[in-house]
Amino acid sequence: MFEAGKGLEEVIVAEGLTKTFNGFKAVDKVTFKVYRGEIFGFLGPNGAGKTTTINLLTTLMKPSEGRGWVAGFSILSEPEKVRRKIGVLFQDITLDTELTGWENLWFHGLIYGVPRKELKQRIREMLAFVELEEWADRQVKKFSGGMRRRLQIAAALLHRPEILFLDEPTLGLDPQTRRRIWDYIFQLQKEGITVFLTTHYMEEAERLCNRVAVIDRGKIIAMGRVDELKGTVGENIHIRLASKSPEDAEKFMEALKSGGLAGEVYLLQTGEITLSTRNASEVLPKIFEEASKLNLKILEASYHAPTLEDVFLRLTGRRLRDSEVGGIESIRLAHRRR
Amino acid sequence: MVNPLGAIYIMWYRQVKRFLRSRSRIIVSVVQPIIWMVFLGLGFTSALRGKPLFGGVDYLTFFAPGVIMMAVFFTAFFSGISVIWDREFGFLKEILVAPASRTAIIFGRILGDATIALLQGVAVMVAAFFLASQLNPLGAGWVLVAAFLTSLQFTGLGITLASKLKSFEGFQLVNTFISMPLVFLSGAFYPVSQLPPPASQLAYLNPLVYGVDLTREALTGLGSLPTSLNLAALLLSSLLLIGFAAWSFNKATVE
Repeated sequence: MFEAGKGLEEVIVAEGLTKTFNGFKAVDKVTFKVYRGEIFGFLGPNGAGKTTTINLLTTLMKPSEGRGWVAGFSILSEPEKVRRKIGVLFQDITLDTELTGWENLWFHGLIYGVPRKELKQRIREMLAFVELEEWADRQVKKFSGGMRRRLQIAAALLHRPEILFLDEPTLGLDPQTRRRIWDYIFQLQKEGITVFLTTHYMEEAERLCNRVAVIDRGKIIAMGRVDELKGTVGENIHIRLASKSPEDAEKFMEALKSGGLAGEVYLLQTGEITLSTRNASEVLPKIFEEASKLNLKILEASYHAPTLEDVFLRLTGRRLRDSEVGGIESIRLAHRRR
Repeated sequence: MVNPLGAIYIMWYRQVKRFLRSRSRIIVSVVQPIIWMVFLGLGFTSALRGKPLFGGVDYLTFFAPGVIMMAVFFTAFFSGISVIWDREFGFLKEILVAPASRTAIIFGRILGDATIALLQGVAVMVAAFFLASQLNPLGAGWVLVAAFLTSLQFTGLGITLASKLKSFEGFQLVNTFISMPLVFLSGAFYPVSQLPPPASQLAYLNPLVYGVDLTREALTGLGSLPTSLNLAALLLSSLLLIGFAAWSFNKATVE
């Protein structure tokens, strides 16, 4: 299993990569390294420059400025050598819809140099993995969107690349398929494959990636392990008091501040208080103690572990556009007193 | 290292398979040249009856070899549009990011599209034998050679064009713009030697002339150039135009 920071081999190096389209900087001086065996993620909203970065690293586009190496080969001067080491799952469909599922994989295998003897067996394995065996001989134009995506994933993995680029690997997939793909990505990592992926699903970045770079408007605005990034924002505690009196709330907030339990405390509405802290699980019992000292009843207390969404919000002042609902890991504590 | 033969084969397979799956393309590509022969060829044959012009044969017999080459030419030259389709539908990325040699890939593609144009030429030739009874079926072998070399080079030219012009409209416009003079100055409709001086010399820069002449010589014995010259010219222009296609595809990006 990959562990960051252990004398590692750099397999992707980007140095000040910049791509300008008609004066618009889609990717702006992006610098990072990815180590062998790592799952490295680019997290950011649509249009942040994630796909352009993949296009640059996979030699589909030439950078306007900057340099890059993939598997030790320059993306500028040795594009053919780079292509031999990589597999790419593009965000848009790159299948021939007139051909059948089998034919698409056959095509892929041959232009990626999979030995013919092995190819049939591998195609069967990949079709089984993405559960498209029964559809193998149908034309791809008859496939649904999700089926096309699965076939494409099968194609990207077919030639067992050393470095795999995944552009929004689970975009538009149902949760079950998504989880299967995550499992498979972990399996690839165990086999020593390095994965570079982009996503705008923070849950995906949190679950999968050893390290994440948060990208916005073409720039990397934060980079590190997920827990490091989350450590930059505190945890939120949300409390609902039984008393609707503003004085009670005021009194309680004062007590919390003077007790050193929270840095910032806000009154949301009558009887509802939110505060941020470094260590919610330790602070929560003390909050209950403070409340009973003041003879106040807490109807409900919940805390919200920081997510990458909070990190993004703190860094940009905006939410991840069209990000998913449901990725918040929150633990609810309900406490009622008579 | 990716086996270039595998890449050539699979590109060929894909182009041919797509064609065979598209019934409308097959029907139109054969019916259209037959319409040329029936309406234009037979029409002129009746209009010029009793006035033998080109070597004493009727007009259709003179014209049919030209129609075979025209059919091959139009299909081959227009096939470049599939590069634009592939770009539009994302499939080109799959090809561009592949480690296989781009020269092998483009050669496979040219072979595939040339095979389609050749098949069509064969179908039109068979139809021509029924419509113009004076044609010599023993010349069919040379027709295949002429049709294949013509297909290769114009597929190459079409791909070069499609690599530069990235929109359907642009490709169609320029394709038609180039096709018209090439066809009219190919000798398919009348012998180029009978054109007024600057045009008659310029016509020999048109690679289509040699394919038409070789076909006409093979089917009617009325060619105006030696077979060896026709063959040499066709080989040379094929090499050049395939070379251009490989060169432009080697530089292709997704932008």
